Amino acid sequence: MFQLTELQHDALAEIFNLGVGQAAAAMSRIVNEEVTMSVPIVAFQNRAEVATTLDSPNERRICAIAQHFEGAFKTKTFLMFLEEKSLELVRLMVGQSLSMEELSEMEQEAMSEIGNIVLNSCMATLANISGRELQGSLPTYHVGTCNDILSHSDKEWDGVVLTLKIDFNIERHEIHGYVAFLLDLPAMNDLRDYIDAYLAKLTG
Amino acid sequence: MTNVLVVDDSRVSRMLSRQYILHKHPQWTIAEAASGEEAVDKLSDFTPDLILLDVNMPGMGGIAAVEKIREKCPDVHITLLTANVQDAVRERANLLGIHFAEKPITEACIDQIIASYES
Repeated sequence: MFQLTELQHDALAEIFNLGVGQAAAAMSRIVNEEVTMSVPIVAFQNRAEVATTLDSPNERRICAIAQHFEGAFKTKTFLMFLEEKSLELVRLMVGQSLSMEELSEMEQEAMSEIGNIVLNSCMATLANISGRELQGSLPTYHVGTCNDILSHSDKEWDGVVLTLKIDFNIERHEIHGYVAFLLDLPAMNDLRDYIDAYLAKLTG
Repeated sequence: MTNVLVVDDSRVSRMLSRQYILHKHPQWTIAEAASGEEAVDKLSDFTPDLILLDVNMPGMGGIAAVEKIREKCPDVHITLLTANVQDAVRERANLLGIHFAEKPITEACIDQIIASYES
């Protein structure tokens, strides 16, 4: 069973906290509003449990932007929002100049670009901390329950995965999103090496 | 008169860049391309003074496109405008001698790109 020491666990949460902090700053610039974040929750789970952790109440539909990253470690990252909030988010991004019809027409592309900016901003922090580049895929857009979205994920995520969940809120618009990172077992070992290198750097 | 080529696979990003540039300089001409290949093709009938270039695009990405763009337009001012804000990408932009700007595309970000072009 994959395990982290208390120090590694703490470092992992802190590194991803820094990453999502940058992501929240990027999100704040997109919507021109303050974005607040929760403390990261780190868990090792199977896919059904992941869906339970990430899912919104009553199996409400969410939209998710997913991106793969490879390099120091391999991960699939998700940025998720309640589907009913996505048009409002796009409106905050593009301003008031578009009609509702135009807005709906470009909703998917705009959400993908929001995901691209937020997820890359987070992963860039992780890459910059280690000095090792992470190669990202193009973003993909999905709508459904969290379980639907994870079911579309690759077979490689069938085993136990490490999930890091961080909520962020755009208070004035009651928009709540979360960022999740899925790592399979080989990736977790790479991640542990990455954390150890980070800790070694900190302690000189 | 300044010609600007906005290269990004995201339509909403192209739209935002266009909107903020025209807000500041309504007389400027703006053309768009959705990939590195399209950008290079576009150069046969459009001569840009400034190119806003995304990095991660389907097909030819921004970094690969720089060399091909320079073969056709050696003097064009290129800004890499990307969500990929890793130090490695900034360094690559530096080595290529091009300006680097961070997404999201906001009015301040476009102002910064225009200031870099005008200087």
